[in-house]
Amino acid sequence: MAGPELLLDSSIRMWVVLPIVFVTFFVGVIRHYVTQLLHSDKKVNLEQVSDSQVLMRSRILRENGKYIPRQSFAMRKHYFNDAETGFFKKVKRKVVPKNPMTDSSMMVDMMKGNLTNVLPMIVIGGWINWAFSGFVITKVPFPLTLRFKPMLQRGIDLLSLDASWVSSASWYFLNVFGLRSMYSLILGQDNAADQSRIMQDQMTGAAMAMPPDPNKAFKSEWEALEVVEHKWALENVEEELMSKDLNFGGFFSQDIKSAVF
Amino acid sequence: MRDKLRKWREDNCRNSEQIVDVGEELISEHASKLGDDIWIIYEQVMIAALDCSRDDLALTCLQELRKQFPDSHRVKRLTGMRLEALERYDEANKHYDAILQDDPTNTAARKRKISILKAQGKSTEAIRELNEYLEQFVGDQEAWHELSELYINEHDYGKAAFCLEELMMINPHNHLYCEQYAEVKYTQGGLENLELSRKYFAQALRLNNRNMRALFGLYMSASHIAASPKVSAKVKKDNMKYAAWAATQINRAYKLAGRGTKENKCSMKTVEEMLESMQITMS
Repeated sequence: MAGPELLLDSSIRMWVVLPIVFVTFFVGVIRHYVTQLLHSDKKVNLEQVSDSQVLMRSRILRENGKYIPRQSFAMRKHYFNDAETGFFKKVKRKVVPKNPMTDSSMMVDMMKGNLTNVLPMIVIGGWINWAFSGFVITKVPFPLTLRFKPMLQRGIDLLSLDASWVSSASWYFLNVFGLRSMYSLILGQDNAADQSRIMQDQMTGAAMAMPPDPNKAFKSEWEALEVVEHKWALENVEEELMSKDLNFGGFFSQDIKSAVF
Repeated sequence: MRDKLRKWREDNCRNSEQIVDVGEELISEHASKLGDDIWIIYEQVMIAALDCSRDDLALTCLQELRKQFPDSHRVKRLTGMRLEALERYDEANKHYDAILQDDPTNTAARKRKISILKAQGKSTEAIRELNEYLEQFVGDQEAWHELSELYINEHDYGKAAFCLEELMMINPHNHLYCEQYAEVKYTQGGLENLELSRKYFAQALRLNNRNMRALFGLYMSASHIAASPKVSAKVKKDNMKYAAWAATQINRAYKLAGRGTKENKCSMKTVEEMLESMQITMS
């Protein structure tokens, strides 16, 4: 029902809408700083560092191998890929799957994450329900179906009220997600107040340091290296060089007395 | 003045005397205005002071840093460096070992240990340690370069060439690595290596048109190949062409350099004589 436009008391605007915005924002900022204070350094494993560097080297070999002579390239490819003695074939890392329940550092991290994120949400949600229930706050600019009514209109049991009118709880949630871009403006990228990103992280699972399975990474690198072939970039370099005259330009002027060699 | 120091820090310049002058003044007079920057300036000035053997200044900087950051690995590394500068190598080594026990991935401590070996003149051991280091940290360009230098000093040109190849792969557009590689190949000798060196000198020139050293190298390697008795006629002709082209370019460069000076004509003659004398003749 399109319905007559409700006229809301302007004191609603002053005393409800704006306070919720401010409270959400400041709680977010405080959460960011608290996370930074509680942040514990990640201990890096020597093996992981070494593995990641080896993979980088193999990747560079694939990409820039054309700048070194054919024999050197073959030598390195052999080192990595040879059937019996190649690095990727021979080295199998023992993979210890990081069980979140038993790994103590992960447990602590998870608890800290939960504490700093979920707790404020619960607290503020409760406060809003207690303080600001029973009336509508604002109207969302697009029409909503009736299905949204029980969700967005907590505490208001008017069947005839348009679903576009929402209560304060939903305004709070809107703020939580909407202020994300404000946080990145003020606190810089990658800030801890960004809740939705943290929830995404939790959902994608424990993705720490290198891919949890270096064996898989090695295998895929091996395949990629097998396929690559060596096309030497320096085949015709002299011809190319001599076709264009060297451009000495303003290099030699009387004022420059620096050593050229 | 802060900006100058910052620029030097970011560019990794090693102008220690200037840093010491500017830094000392900054620290003694404007310490309060620097805020948190002062710690990194202390570190920068301390390393420069060690370079200039200003032990007093280094000691004061170190003490300030130790007061502020008592447990930091970075400060421990600086203590180790000071001990190195005073030639108390055993104590410095103990310091670095302590850091490494705490944090085995700390590359700075490992590199300092290797440089201690180098300073003591034990280059074979330094080479061995550096090899072990590189086995684990394969991506460290500085270390590859250092290793290639050590190998060149030991005249092990094959291994030096390997290190330079790694560097060339990581930085394909850096003409200096190309040129150094070409020089190593030229020193190794043998027809294939000479051909390779000629190609890499040409590549270095292509990357940077003004690399005179590469131009001379091109001339030398081309004339060397042309003078060698084992090559086919076509190869000889090609190489004479390259050498002639390189010679004209060198002449042109010197002409441009000598523009406006009175001794222009004489210097051209000396250049030509020099080129003649550089011809490799079979004895």
